[in-house]
Amino acid sequence: MKRIAALVLVLALMFSFTACQNGDKNVNANQTTEPVATKTPEEISNAAQEITDAKEYKSVYRTSFNKSYASFNYFSTAYSTVRSIVTNCIDGLVEPDIYGVYVPSLAESWTANDDETVWTFKIRQGIKWVDHTGADTGMEVTAQDFVDGIRYIGDPLNDAYSLRVVRNLIEGLYDYYWTLDDIDSGEVADKTREEVLASFDNTVGVKAIDEYTVEYTLTSSAPYFLSLIESSMLLLPIEYDYAIELGEDFGVDNEHMLYCGAYYISAFERDKAITLTKNPLYWDKNNVTVETVEYQMIPEGTTSLEMFKRGELDDATVEAEEYLSMKGTEWEGKLIPTERSLSTNYLWLDFSGANPEFNTFVQSENFRKALQYSLNREAIASLRDPVDPQRVLRATINAEGAIYDGNGVDYTDYAPLKAVKDTDYNKPELARQYMEAAVAELCDENGNIKGIEAGKVDYLPVGTFEVDAKLPVTVIYVGTDDENEIVMAQLMKTMVEEAIGTDLIDFQIVCFSGWTYGTVADPYNYDIYFDSLSTGYADPSGILTRMTTDGAENVGGYDVPEYDALIDQALNAATFEERLEKFAEAEAYLCNGAYVIPFISSLRGYYMTNCMPFTSPLTLYGNSKFKGALVMDKPLTYSEYQTLDAAYEIARTDALKNAD
Amino acid sequence: MTKYILTRTLRSLLTVAIVFVTVFMLLRLMPLSGYFPQEILKETDEATRMTYLRNQGLLDHPFVQLWRFVKNLFQGDLGRSLTVYPKVPIITLLKEKIPVTAAFGFASMVIGIVLGISLGLVMVRFKNNWGDRLGTFFILIVRAVPSIIYLFFIQVWISKWFDLPLVFYKDRPESWVLPTICLSLGSIAYYALWLRRFMVDEENKDYVKFAMVKGLPKRVVWKKHVFKNAVIPLVIYLPSDLLFIISGSLVIESLYAIPGTGGLLTTAIKSQDNNLVQVIVLMYAVLSVIGVFLGDLLVAFVDPRIKLTEGE
Repeated sequence: MKRIAALVLVLALMFSFTACQNGDKNVNANQTTEPVATKTPEEISNAAQEITDAKEYKSVYRTSFNKSYASFNYFSTAYSTVRSIVTNCIDGLVEPDIYGVYVPSLAESWTANDDETVWTFKIRQGIKWVDHTGADTGMEVTAQDFVDGIRYIGDPLNDAYSLRVVRNLIEGLYDYYWTLDDIDSGEVADKTREEVLASFDNTVGVKAIDEYTVEYTLTSSAPYFLSLIESSMLLLPIEYDYAIELGEDFGVDNEHMLYCGAYYISAFERDKAITLTKNPLYWDKNNVTVETVEYQMIPEGTTSLEMFKRGELDDATVEAEEYLSMKGTEWEGKLIPTERSLSTNYLWLDFSGANPEFNTFVQSENFRKALQYSLNREAIASLRDPVDPQRVLRATINAEGAIYDGNGVDYTDYAPLKAVKDTDYNKPELARQYMEAAVAELCDENGNIKGIEAGKVDYLPVGTFEVDAKLPVTVIYVGTDDENEIVMAQLMKTMVEEAIGTDLIDFQIVCFSGWTYGTVADPYNYDIYFDSLSTGYADPSGILTRMTTDGAENVGGYDVPEYDALIDQALNAATFEERLEKFAEAEAYLCNGAYVIPFISSLRGYYMTNCMPFTSPLTLYGNSKFKGALVMDKPLTYSEYQTLDAAYEIARTDALKNAD
Repeated sequence: MTKYILTRTLRSLLTVAIVFVTVFMLLRLMPLSGYFPQEILKETDEATRMTYLRNQGLLDHPFVQLWRFVKNLFQGDLGRSLTVYPKVPIITLLKEKIPVTAAFGFASMVIGIVLGISLGLVMVRFKNNWGDRLGTFFILIVRAVPSIIYLFFIQVWISKWFDLPLVFYKDRPESWVLPTICLSLGSIAYYALWLRRFMVDEENKDYVKFAMVKGLPKRVVWKKHVFKNAVIPLVIYLPSDLLFIISGSLVIESLYAIPGTGGLLTTAIKSQDNNLVQVIVLMYAVLSVIGVFLGDLLVAFVDPRIKLTEGE
């Protein structure tokens, strides 16, 4: 009874929160004098133009970061910490325009063969590498610099990170890398390092056809290759001799880098400040509207928010709880919901753990579905966004709005995944039924679980647990000690135990303090584990091929040959549409069988900005660029945003149609 | 005295060596997966991870690694950061960070001593009166209330009232004020509290009463006897503050965006940045033994009753 009361209380709080905030949302919406929905497309475009024309713009953009920029070596540091700077300082072959359509960048044009395994890019002539003062180094960006980028990451001694996709995709790179590695480790003695290094031009599928033409030969069809260029820093150019001469010092600070993008790093104070200055030799300098970007390291979110309010920063993120505190203040009308997240949160179920009770039950689809249907996803989403939890919900592994076929159809709208998206998983009564079916299948009439014995479960260093081989089934949920995650785990426990019943399930929470992936997930020290995955480029293979039985991302240790077969079929499909169809089938198979349980996206919070939206490239897979950004002297209001958003969507639809 | 200093130096060196080797070896017991950020661990296969570890020399025998570190150390090479600031020379990091933290640490130490002792004197002078009560209230706030509450209050509200910057800027001296005050609050409370207590203790001792009965002016008794004796127990901690000066404060540096050493050791340990941990531990160990050593010397200097060697 206490549990029911607790659950009711929690849910009531959330719903009241939601109801209350929906009311607030209306307040925001009411600030628009005339609802956007009642206007014609032309009126919307005109209204958006009026907003844009009425603003005054600045040439300096002041923003913040909260974690150290450890190094600028874009090949060998963890992506998230360096990409947001490098993406503005080193241009790739192509870039998305403001609608997400790929347009020329350092490449003037490109072609692909019929099966999209050979991609040829014509490089723009006269692009110069500049140093940290913006001075011309006299070195030109040529096709060889792109070849050398692959040469650099292909040498294990250069410690390139996140190599997997590119190393497997570029013809010959896998063998080249591992041969060098075998030589370094002493496993291969009949070749020398120098011999293998010298063989690069003949064995690896990247070639400078002439000074301004680079050609990539891929191991398989890659219709998504342009999006990979956007997302992966490993396909960026490098001035090889310069980098090799610097050795380990390459990228340690702004003075040990060369630049060919819209900006160069003119000042760098570690853990404090970074200044980007417009590159005077940039090929597209007329479209670089912001002259200077000033970054400050502000570790505390509340400080950056306060600085924004005082006019010292041009943007600030606002967490859901801060949103509530700003209700009724002058700032309420300036809060804009974050637009999208390609990252999905899901639950791993451990098929290889040491808990015999869970291990027996998890093999049963009925049990997995019982868990799947016991979660009230909207209530969990309310923890992330009490105002509009619906926007946080996600039932698929790959994000919606991230992958489109040639006809502009969203991958998650393919029939198998559409069915997953349309399923209502909030059915506690169904959860109980599934669990009873699992119990009938796996237990005797006395509630003893068949085929296992009582004992101690060793999940050290997480902990040890006694199990009695009887109902209720002991489930060990291992999460981090992050306070938000603890609340979410407690909510899940309440939901699961209420839906399934404490006579059948005992949901225990362990809050692990430390390195969870390496200590909990990787060595299978859990029964249920919370994690996330991001759609990295415009193809489902980025995630799904890693989730096969032998895949690196199969943290649950399941064995699903049907899924593996569908992935193979997808990879060998004749057309991109067929490929997506098969991937959708495979993804739906995992979701329907509840081998993993995706439930919400990583979308959270709001932001306030002085930046005019939809003026910079729409970088779905990479980090945002400042090129083209318009910085206002006052914050954008939510009603302005709504008008601009509506106009943008109209223009984007046209742009995507024209692009096709 | 020379013999004492020599013996003490050798013992200190031995202590530092034991601390260092213990930490060095303990770091090698950490799981190999800890060398990779979570996002990289998920992105990278086992073989590539092993390649990275081998390139960094982390798969070599611990004694080989120890020998390499010591050898490089004697050649003036502290190595490069492994995970927190990959490939950045540690000497560069320390050169960048220590001066910032030390400047704040030194300023706050001076302020802490001056204001703390002054407050302690006021509290004793006005014992059980307004000065004492005000001081006690201040000490209670600083020591009993979670620091983040008043630190946050100072940052947001005091900065607003006095139109001061919210964060630290190297080229804006007015932005140094609040973090320095925040850093010194603990010291002020500490010195005030203990000075008051020691002075009240001394005040009640027979020799003080005797001096008063003898007719010595109260001011002289206080200055020459009570204060002098009460301050001795505090003096011993002064050199230990050396460590605080360069180790910094995680919370305050984070709050005011000060690019110092606060939290550097914690971050390095959490990220298994062996090279960085080793250097910081070595540095802190050396400073600690120097601090304790200087503390002993200082006490012997200010208190003639204390002898460092048997013969003296």
